[in-house]
Amino acid sequence: MDEPGVILKMEGITKKFPGVLALDKVNFSMKKEEIHALVGENGAGKSTLIKILSGVHKPDEGKIFLDGEYVAFSNPIHAIEKGISVIYQELNLVEELSVAENIYLGKENRNWWNLGKKVLIERAEKLLSKLNFPISASEKVKNLNVSEKQLVEIAKAMATNAKVIVMDEPTATITEHEAKQLFSLMRGLKEQGVSIIFISHRLEEVFEIADSVTVLRDGKLISTGKIDQYDKNRLISDVVGRTISDMYPKENTVTDVNAFEVEELSVPGYVNRLSFNVKKGEILGIAGLVGCGKSEVALAIYGGIKAHAKKALLDGERVSLPTRPDISLERGVLLIPEDRKSQGLVLLLSVTKNIVLPNTKFITKLGHIRWKEGRKISGNLVKKLNIKTPTLSQKAENLSGGNQQKVVLAKGLVRKPKLIIFAEPTRGIDVGAKVEVYKLMNELANQGVGIIMISSELPEIVSMSDRVLVMHRGVQKAILEGENINQENIMAAAMGG
Amino acid sequence: MLKKFLNLLRKFPIILGFIGVVVLFSILTNRFFTLSNFLNVFRQISINAIIAFGMTFVILSGGIDLSVGSVFALAAVVGASIIKGGNVFLGSLAALGVGAAMGAFNGAIIAKLKLQPFIVTLATMAIARSFTQVYTQGRPITGLPSTFREIGRGELFSVPVPIYIMFAVFFISLYILSNTKLGLYTYSIGGNEEATRLSGIKVIRYKVTIYTISGLLSALSALILTARLNSAQPIFGTGYELDAIAAVVLGGTSLSGGKGTIIGTLFGAMVMGVINNGMNLVNVSPFYQQAVKGAVILLAVMAERSE
Ligand SMILES: Nc1ncnc2c1ncn2[C@@H]1O[C@H](COP(=O)(O)OP(=O)(O)OP(=O)(O)O)[C@@H](O)[C@H]1O
Ligand SMILES: [Mg+2]
Repeated sequence: MDEPGVILKMEGITKKFPGVLALDKVNFSMKKEEIHALVGENGAGKSTLIKILSGVHKPDEGKIFLDGEYVAFSNPIHAIEKGISVIYQELNLVEELSVAENIYLGKENRNWWNLGKKVLIERAEKLLSKLNFPISASEKVKNLNVSEKQLVEIAKAMATNAKVIVMDEPTATITEHEAKQLFSLMRGLKEQGVSIIFISHRLEEVFEIADSVTVLRDGKLISTGKIDQYDKNRLISDVVGRTISDMYPKENTVTDVNAFEVEELSVPGYVNRLSFNVKKGEILGIAGLVGCGKSEVALAIYGGIKAHAKKALLDGERVSLPTRPDISLERGVLLIPEDRKSQGLVLLLSVTKNIVLPNTKFITKLGHIRWKEGRKISGNLVKKLNIKTPTLSQKAENLSGGNQQKVVLAKGLVRKPKLIIFAEPTRGIDVGAKVEVYKLMNELANQGVGIIMISSELPEIVSMSDRVLVMHRGVQKAILEGENINQENIMAAAMGG
Repeated sequence: MLKKFLNLLRKFPIILGFIGVVVLFSILTNRFFTLSNFLNVFRQISINAIIAFGMTFVILSGGIDLSVGSVFALAAVVGASIIKGGNVFLGSLAALGVGAAMGAFNGAIIAKLKLQPFIVTLATMAIARSFTQVYTQGRPITGLPSTFREIGRGELFSVPVPIYIMFAVFFISLYILSNTKLGLYTYSIGGNEEATRLSGIKVIRYKVTIYTISGLLSALSALILTARLNSAQPIFGTGYELDAIAAVVLGGTSLSGGKGTIIGTLFGAMVMGVINNGMNLVNVSPFYQQAVKGAVILLAVMAERSE
């Protein structure tokens, strides 16, 4: 079973879950010192393939060869010992421990606790500054936001001497700036002889970093080959099974009536005196690097965190800043939160229950929930957003990452709001579904809703926004309009220029 | 039919445990599998089961209530002292009121000040016990009117009244957990409190409600025991929190919240009750009985883990 240059070979991998054939006789093979992109629609089976490789799941059929040797990992620790390091799509950090402790948790130097906290933190500081990640090693993980946690996960994988590093959507929660750093890191690793599997829904990234690519759809292998055998159109059509002419359909009409206006919005420690307005029918983009305060702006407008403002107007009326989310919901202000795992979903509950959660009002009488109507509502949204799930009563935790994200979106689509804040709306969503989300935004805007879109994805910000507010370290650096909306201007302002 | 039953067993392995202990004691002694013994067992179970139903709400929401045993005692003595004076209705109401108030207090402190339920209810556990001692000066209250005693001793169609009460509470809890907002939010708060809050749910208000239910049900249970024994004692309820938690956990409810059922708790309480009763019937020394119960809980938790 020795093929020269092949580090990893997975043969005829099949995996069934109740009601789902997640992988159907999939072959995957990767060369040494190669960055191999694994792409495909939401629910295609990418994460499942990775989890089989690392011993989280057992395959129903199929074999794995690492460096020509047959392997069958029964658990992830076994895989790590054999030199496979995985950054999972769902972050797996110990919230109560520090960044440094998380990075070295369970590493070869097993008695890290003997090292003493100081040495550990120094080491981690060194690693983090080498990686150019703006995180403090002594900070507790629970105080970090998702993007920062993602960076910790990356650092954690970098701290091993792995032969194969797998990254399941490492860039989904970080901005282009951090992604660039990650890519130069990946190139460095490749030169040191490491092979990398890279999963992403951002196809530009695939062309930028990958040497080879494998496409899955509905659990089947669709195509595989060197990256130069693909162009963007072929890759898209392999991924979604059809061609997409316009990745960013923009069909909204901006009115000149304000939907929302705020003066001197501040969140202590995060945001300093931000003033802006959103018109009815407008999509206002908010951009900035990880930690610039844009996440906090979203929460502040919605009443999710303590904040204050000199003045706020909703639909022309003076309002006080909401102190609780339920106040916002009553007023017709919705938030699609950025982190599906900690803010968006109750993973243990079913798809229907998650969708109904913020909307019980519509199907409840005297506290009694009419579940039949709840299922009707969720059934419609599952169809509309094309959420891949065997049944409506499937637990959210069993859905693929992108399908979970769609459930988060669905929660916000039951009501008709005055203002809706989409925080990282397409995080983890495949190219085909992204287009559908943009169409949905257009549809809402054209019904007179004001839309704030907070995003780390520049192409989306550039293409979908009518105006872009750029933040840097908690303050407003620019409001770009029309011709001025382009990646260069946004990046310049985001870097503090 | 058989398939349905097997599915049920997969969902509630505790039912298998229940069948197991029933079969075991039926083999060990012929005094176990009789109608009169069963009614007796169920009457005993009702005390723990009713507390455990309340505990299920609390644990599902990601909390814990260690104060139920002390609240039980406080409600019993306050209720009994008024009932002894002749007003059964007012006394019962006062007992339930005391339970509900203690629960609401727990919930308010836990939710508003964001303190650990374990610590808060540990404190109220001590406080309520102390109130009870002060209120009674350490003496039991006995000699209650016969109308009241019916709650604990009475029978309807040869079935003891406490069993009716237990099943009434069971069905109401079942309904609340599966068909009401309160039920949905109980699960969602336990599963992910932050996501629940961001979904616009008034988490504080629902947490207060949940702990109030727990306090209220331990007071209801206290009334039953007081009526049955024709006496309220200041040492009532000692260790009941552990029995209730054990029933909930045996029933498959996760201590980290968000996952579990009221049916599981019912069977959890039944298994505990049958083991108690059976061990008495086959003359297991009381010194060993606690160890056996402990072992059963360990086994159940290990079985759940291995799933
Ligand atoms: N633990 C599980 N239980 C049941 N079904 C599962 C489980 N894990 C995955 N699935 C199902 O298997 C299919 C493949 O899921 P997988 O997570 O591999 O998709 P993916 O390609 O990673 O998608 P995404 O881009 O959304 O992350 C999905 O339909 C998903 O619902
Ligand atoms: Mg995935």
